Amino acid sequence: MTAVPILKIEDLRTYFHSRSKQAFIRSVDGVSLEVMKGQTLGVVGESGSGKSVTALSVLGLVSAGPGVISGKIGLRSDRIQKDLLEGLGEFVKLTTKDGKIMEVSKDVAGWRRGAERIMSKVRGKEIAMTFQNPGSSLNPFTPVGKQITEAIRLHTSTKTEREAKERALSWLHRVKIDSPRLRFDHYPYGLSGGMCQRIMIAMALASEPSLLITDEPTTGLDATIQSKIVDLLEELKSELGITTMLISHDISIISQLSDSVAVMYGGTVFEYGPTKEVLSKRGNSKHPYTSALLASIPSAQNIREKRYLQAIEGDVLDTINIPTGCRFYSRCSRMTERIRERCVGHEPDLRETGSRHKVRCWLYFD
Amino acid sequence: MPKTILEVMDLKKHFTDRKGLFHSLGERHPSIPAVDGVSFYIKENETVGLVGESGCGKTTVGRTILRLEKPTSGKILFDGKDITSIPTDELRRLRGQMQMIFQDLDAALNPKMRIRDILSEAITVHHKIDGAEAGKRISDLLEQVSLKKSKLSNFPHELSGGEKRRVGVARVLSVGAKFIVADEPTSALDVSIQAQIVNLLRDLQKRLGLSYLFISHDLPVVELISHKVAVMYLGKIVEIGLSDRIASRAMHPYTHILWSSLVEKQNKENPQKAKSVQADRWGVFDFERPVSGCRFAPRCPVYESSGRPAICIDPSTEPQLEDIGGSHQVACHFPL
Repeated sequence: MTAVPILKIEDLRTYFHSRSKQAFIRSVDGVSLEVMKGQTLGVVGESGSGKSVTALSVLGLVSAGPGVISGKIGLRSDRIQKDLLEGLGEFVKLTTKDGKIMEVSKDVAGWRRGAERIMSKVRGKEIAMTFQNPGSSLNPFTPVGKQITEAIRLHTSTKTEREAKERALSWLHRVKIDSPRLRFDHYPYGLSGGMCQRIMIAMALASEPSLLITDEPTTGLDATIQSKIVDLLEELKSELGITTMLISHDISIISQLSDSVAVMYGGTVFEYGPTKEVLSKRGNSKHPYTSALLASIPSAQNIREKRYLQAIEGDVLDTINIPTGCRFYSRCSRMTERIRERCVGHEPDLRETGSRHKVRCWLYFD
Repeated sequence: MPKTILEVMDLKKHFTDRKGLFHSLGERHPSIPAVDGVSFYIKENETVGLVGESGCGKTTVGRTILRLEKPTSGKILFDGKDITSIPTDELRRLRGQMQMIFQDLDAALNPKMRIRDILSEAITVHHKIDGAEAGKRISDLLEQVSLKKSKLSNFPHELSGGEKRRVGVARVLSVGAKFIVADEPTSALDVSIQAQIVNLLRDLQKRLGLSYLFISHDLPVVELISHKVAVMYLGKIVEIGLSDRIASRAMHPYTHILWSSLVEKQNKENPQKAKSVQADRWGVFDFERPVSGCRFAPRCPVYESSGRPAICIDPSTEPQLEDIGGSHQVACHFPL
């Protein structure tokens, strides 16, 4: 396949500072991902695994300190080819100890000025995003149609208000809002969760971006509405060829929509590769976390035989106290005596186990 | 033959707008029939799942059964005793046997109390025992829900979502409840933690002989944990039966759509198979719209495909639950 990456994230780190604990929350701790043109990358993981923060970092929307501190975010669209963090490294000074970042001093104002200069041409225009919880991400004081029109006038060459309105209507039609002319003048509170999600998608796509990031598009919706939104996303992908980064904790949606998938845990990517390989129940070279995650979902067989679910014991990692070894070892069921020492003592790299399939686990590297 | 622990007959709960100062001046507001004639029973040691979309009245059923809401009409029998209109002090005694695990535990656990106090309060309210004995009981409970002892001196905000659920379960068990309404106990949890809680609930049922009304919109979990499943639509049960029958051989078009939207998600390879009955127009329902005939008709693909038969929208012939054998009941004029 000769797909080119539109977005290439390399070793991204986004930290927050917890004042009460006097420590860093390492929300994103060395993430590398690629989104190929015309394809969908699914990012799956439990809450606190750093999925959303990765997306917000890409758009330069992390506001709490210190925020993004290092890495590269390469954007290669038709109009812009550049590293979105270019030249920002000079505003950050990192002090490391044993390969771990212990101290960060960041010139926040300088960073922000530099970032805004780059992002103003990118945010909303090249990379658009639909946020979690559409109800509260739309402006409650403006009719939804007007909000879409605004995005169109700001980001596309459409100049007149009237033309923009026509386009907004056609987008409402596109995302299958029934009676678009009526809904155009509605406020977000009058629309259901599913409709708000559709409006968000319309608004994001109306500026004709090269990359669409959708954060938890189906969360909080009823099962029937969920499947409608999934259908819509699938249709938009096949008709418009949109490049998407899809973030969700719902494995079934990720497996349905994405071409490749990244499984995140505790701020790092644990497994990365083609969806078919990573999320299939069979397959051998898998991260124990991915297998456990798949096993904890009630499967048809589980239900039929009324079996107990295979739970992953313990809690989701809190990203303040990160162990020196593998981030998953305390919950891992496949750690053998043979590799135990390495699991506890050293963090494994994300290494290739098959063609384009990478796993971060000592099990596969002797 | 296990005995029936709870029986609900034609339960109704209609909410009316609060009467404001200018109530008499304004227009009359219609009452909202959140629960509109619901009947079912739960046997000892049995789990009944209650599913439906948000806003269909699932939670209101649960709350009304425990008399947290006053029912508008109908009858609730708990352990053979009519509790529909018993006075509060008698009700308080009964609450030791029936309890609820609330959906939003951030709101249900007092943020100013430590976990120890939350649990011991629940015990001492319902039982006359001294502090030492309560302490012993608490440590038993912690073991039952496998929660670390060190968490006792924490405040709720210091716990993770899964731990908060465990506290919620422990509090319910602390009073010695045998019938539990579990309202969305697995929503807002990560899948790995969700599996832990589901296993815990099943384990407790086995060991303590509990009965659950399990309210959820997560269909696979409901199917897994429940013996029977009731499907609600707009305040009414449209289908009730054994869980595997509801899942595989649904008779009501609504149930079919609910489950097929799930199947579709699960096997992407052959979505065509699942799309046998599929609603094209999936509009929003409106509670305040007066219902005439079958509530589901405006969204029903069968109604649409069979040429909009008049019987479906005739106000005098709203379909009632009818037994079709194998303890399976369905309310539809044209069951699949």
